Order: sequence, then C-alpha cells, then structure tokens
Amino acid sequence: MGNLVWHDFARYVSITASLYAVWSGFYGIYFRKFFWDFIGGTLRDPGGLQPAPGAAVFITLIVKNPIIQIFAMIVGLFMLALEYPLPQLKSLSIHRSFALKIVLLLFQSFLTLLFYQGTNSALWSLIAAGSYARAIILGETMEEAKDNRGKGGRA
Amino acid sequence: MAESWFRREFLTGRRLAFNVIFYGLHFFFFGYGWYSQAINTKLAALNGLTFSVWTSRGAGLVLAFDGGLILIPMLRNIIRILRPKLTWLFPADENIWFHRQVAYSMAFWAMVHTTAHYVNFINVERTQVRKQIALEIHYTQPGGITGHFMLLIMVLMYATAHHKIRNQCFEAFWYTHHLAFFFMIGLYTHATGCFVRDSVDPAYSPIFPFYTTDHCLGYLSWRFIIWPGIIYFGERIYREYRARRSTRLSKVLVHPSGAMELRIVKPSFKYVAGQWLFVQIPELSRWQWHPFTITSAPEDPYVSIHIRQVGDWTRALGDRLGVGPSVVANMTQAALKGTEKDDKFLKGDFVELDSSTGISLPHVRIDGPYGAPAEDVFNCEVAVLIGAGIGVTPFASILKHIWYRQKKRNIGSLRRVEFFWVCRDAPSFGWFQSLLAEVEAAQADPNFLRINIYLTQKIGEDMLWNIAVNDAGAEYDPLTLLRTRTMFGRPDWMKIYSQMGMAIDCGQYIPGSKSQLKTKVGTYFCGPSPLAKAIKEATVKNTSATVNFTFAKEHF
Repeated sequence: MGNLVWHDFARYVSITASLYAVWSGFYGIYFRKFFWDFIGGTLRDPGGLQPAPGAAVFITLIVKNPIIQIFAMIVGLFMLALEYPLPQLKSLSIHRSFALKIVLLLFQSFLTLLFYQGTNSALWSLIAAGSYARAIILGETMEEAKDNRGKGGRA
Repeated sequence: MAESWFRREFLTGRRLAFNVIFYGLHFFFFGYGWYSQAINTKLAALNGLTFSVWTSRGAGLVLAFDGGLILIPMLRNIIRILRPKLTWLFPADENIWFHRQVAYSMAFWAMVHTTAHYVNFINVERTQVRKQIALEIHYTQPGGITGHFMLLIMVLMYATAHHKIRNQCFEAFWYTHHLAFFFMIGLYTHATGCFVRDSVDPAYSPIFPFYTTDHCLGYLSWRFIIWPGIIYFGERIYREYRARRSTRLSKVLVHPSGAMELRIVKPSFKYVAGQWLFVQIPELSRWQWHPFTITSAPEDPYVSIHIRQVGDWTRALGDRLGVGPSVVANMTQAALKGTEKDDKFLKGDFVELDSSTGISLPHVRIDGPYGAPAEDVFNCEVAVLIGAGIGVTPFASILKHIWYRQKKRNIGSLRRVEFFWVCRDAPSFGWFQSLLAEVEAAQADPNFLRINIYLTQKIGEDMLWNIAVNDAGAEYDPLTLLRTRTMFGRPDWMKIYSQMGMAIDCGQYIPGSKSQLKTKVGTYFCGPSPLAKAIKEATVKNTSATVNFTFAKEHF
C-alpha cells in the first residue's frame, strides 16, 4: 500500500549529498588529504601519513592543488541547481532527465570518494543514483513544471 | 501585503518566546561545551587542536541535548495525561511541530559537529598527538562508526519524512522512521570509544559502561538523555499490550453518503469526548495504525469511528466489507444529487453490516485515546463550536456527549451551545447530518443548541432550483434535512461575535445572566489555520468587560 515515488525520494537524498559535496569540497581546500593515502603509505611522527609514490597523481590533484575538491564543488553546485531547481533550469528538459542525474551523481560520487572529507557524500550520492535508477526501472517520469499561478494558503 | 515568512515564524507572540528559549538553550550548551573543554587542563593534549576540538565538543553537547529532546514530544500517552494541566504553559498538541524543530536543529549541529571532527582527526594524524591515522578514528573506533551510521540514518529518515513522501507513501516514512531505534543506540554509545581522555590509550573496563570515568572525560550526557529513550520504549511496549486487550468489531454501518461507521466494543478503553485513536486491521496491513477521531460519546456502550473511503487503506477496508469504492461512489453521487430526500431518510437510513448478515467482520485493534479533551466546554456559560469541513468530526462526539449530559441534567455551567459548521459540500457528510438531526430533535429548550450551517460551495443551477422549490414552507431544510436553515456563503465572524456580545450584554442571550460578573464564551475550533486566525481576531476584538471570549484550536 502506498506508492513511493522513487524520484521524489531520490531528489531529497541527492540534494543532501550534493550539499555535503559542496561543503566537504570547500573545507577540503583548507585541509587537503587524499582519502586512499593509507594504501602503501608510511606513518611519520609528526607529519602523518605519507602516501606511496604510486599515488603521486592524486597528491598533485588533491594536496598540491585542490583540483578534485573544486570539481566536486562545481558538480555539487550544478547538481543543486538542477535538483532544486534554479528557475532558469526549471523549464528545461534536463531538469527532468533521470539519466543525466544518475551520471552526474556517479561522477560526484567518484570525485568525493577521492578526498578525505567527501566519503559520506560519495555514499549518499550512490544511494540517490540507485534510487533514480529504480525510478527509471519503474518507468516513473517527472511532470513538466507548471507556471506559478499565485500562492496558496490564503483564506 | 501578507506578513513575511520570517516574521511569522520567528518574531510573533509565543513563537518568539519559544525561539528565545529554545535557541538560547542551544547556544548556552554550545558555549558551555566549548568553554569546559577549553579550560580543562587534563585535556591539554586535545586542546592543542584548538578551535576544531572546542567546536566539536560544544556541538556535541548541543546534539546530546537535542537527542534527549527529540523523543519527548513522541511520548503520546504521557502528553495526553499532562496535557489538560499544561495547556496554559505550552501548546501540547503541537508536539509534532516541536519534534520537527528539534530535528532541524539536530541536522544543523550534526553538520557543525561532523565538520569539526573531520578537522580534529586530520590534525590528530598530522601532529600524532595520538599514534593513529585519521581513518582509524573514523572507521574503527565506536565514535566514528556510530557517527557515520547516525548520519546515514538521518539522511534516510529526513528524506522519507518530507511531507511529500509521507503523503504519497506513509509506509516508507513509518518504517524508515523506526531506524530511530538504531539511531538512539548509536547516540547513547557514541562516546564509548573514549575519544575524550587524558590517557594515552582508552581506559576501558570490564564493567558497564565499559570505560572508566577517571580517564574518559566526556560529558557523560547519555546518563541524562537515555531516559526519554527508555520511557519511549516502555510506552511502545505498553501501547502494544493495550492494543492486544480484547477488542471486538461489533457492527459496521454504511451511511448513505458512503461513510462507514465502525462500532467497536473494548471494555478497557476509556476516553473523553473529542479525543482520537489509532486503528489497526491486521487483515489489511499487519503494521499500519491509522488515526481517526472518535465520534461516539463516552456514555455510549461502544467506540465508534467514521471512515470515508478516500485513501488506499480505507478503500481496502471498504472492499473487505463488501462496500467498496464503486458501491460507495454511487451512494455519494446519489447523496450529492439529492435523490435521497425521501421522508424515510429523515430517520438517518443506513445499511447495517454485522455477523448475522453473512459477512465476517475483520479483527480490529485500537490504540488510544490521544489528544484534546474538550471537557472544559462545561466550564463556560456559552460554548461556540466551529467545525470546518472534515474538521467537524470531533464535534460529533462532543455534541453527543453534551446531549447525554443534558439528559442526566449535568451540564455544568453551560447555558447555550452555538454550533457552526462551515462546509463546502454538506451532502457528502450525510452521516453527520443524521447525528445532528438526532441531537436537534432531542432538544427540549429551543434556545439551548443552535445549529448554524454555512455552505460555501458555488451553487449550480439545479441545486438552486431544488432549494427554491423545496425550501419555501417546508418543515426541514432541503439540503441538510434539519429544522435549521442552511446559510450560503462565508460567515462574517466579526458580526457574529459582536452581535453575540451585545445580546449577552443586554441580557437577551442568557436569561438571568445579569447577576453574573462576567460571562465566559469559549470557542472551540477545528479546521484550517487561515480560518482559525480570522475567528481568533474576532474573539479578541469583541472581548469586553462583561463578556470574555476565549479561543481554542483543536488538532487532529
């Protein structure tokens, strides 16, 4: 009984995950750390984990220059604009495309999984992507946005 | 220009007082948590992490406070008992609203706390103040594990609790919200990893709570906040026990308008007029509980509820009883067209289903009662009962109750009852009309109960002719079949109240009321909030030295 509309549920999870991505990317710029640096890394006292030489490319992209964090923020912000949605995007068909959202969420999940602060966002983005996939399987579609015809709640 | 959202939510009346106290307490706890960490010389090593550790401790204490508060508004039985004594202090019927405020605050502080800890742990790893790496603290120690799990549970619970999801699929909300059990376990055990310590290694011990407080210097907040959790758990068990006590569905009446009246016999069930209960029918759904207003009076030998077939559960119930949506749709159509207006319908005709008719009645369980007793109706001289649309249901019970007490000559100081029903399409509430007719017919004093029905629907041509032809000179109103005439359009509350006030003043309204110092007129309203606001304004404006209008809103 009751009919869960999966893409509605996915939207809320996706908004939360994207907000997390933006926020984690932001303070990830100040505290830069490659999440997977424990693989083959050596612990130095003080100084923390020193990543293995094989991870040099990630160190360049995350620690030396916060490229991944900035990309995660951009994807997260775009995701928010798409999900909330921004008034300019409301009438476009990409706002109603689950496939695009799944792709972006997977991308967001991949990016946030790389740096230290983003792991929760990665997990939640996967959940949101999975829920959107479920919505596609069940054949759900999103209604086209209607024009605003005034506000409710007045006697 | 309507008042701004911010003004309405934060800056007016009791909201303002609530916000000052609620958020004031939050900031107090944050400040205290911060300060007591920062000055603790035993924790000097941790204080080397500076701002992040102070923030995380402060936010942690706030979260503990919220965790202790979040279950309190859900202690339904305790609230029901306390409610009549505490309505002056806080609106006890707004418990779900309070639950939400705590949840919002929790989400915010969880963000602060988590961010601070991410910074803490990366600095622990860099400075090696503890010989650990950040991910060990995050994913191998109790604090980190429970924290991450609680965040995940919160995402799922908040997402499914959104009113959009809750309305389309209550089950998704209801079942997911039971993750709260694991959330609370996580909350109470969040500190067992002994992260806040003055020793090198966690000071574990073999006895409960498995760490020694000599070296583990957390706030030990779980000792305080676990009690609402225990009480809530006990209450759920008590509710289960109470629901299992013998209950029998004795009769189902199907009214012409399609409403099903369930008459349930449960000797252990005690309630007062105007309360509501939860119903479960295991045959339809093993776990779902549905709230309904009680429509019988406490004096009745049964508990009755009226169910309209509007949702999937109520439709399934209709199908189960053999009066499915199609049958009922016909009945409702007939009622709307007015074809039922034969004289025999004056007696309130209905189809009765019980075990003798060959239909087996399903097993039912009820849980309750909860909510607003309207007992204080009998403390005022004049009671104004206003129901809007479906909001009329609690008044069925109250009117019946008044009627019973009239028969027993025990109506307190109550002298007159004004009943207003503002309704868009009266015919679809046929069952209520039959009840009103019964109460109306039983009145010995024509002035005691006055029924005012306002129909706000736009009237079609057919209906107009129907009224024109049938109304003139007829004994009963053609729409409601009551002696009282239906009025059309929206009521003008200002006028109604000012006239009532004047009539009371000059002694016309209540005979002999001159001797009294002050007449108390209590208004009881159930319906949408814009209407509530209009009525409240009217009551406030018309209160004078001799007449005191009070206003109370019912929730259901």
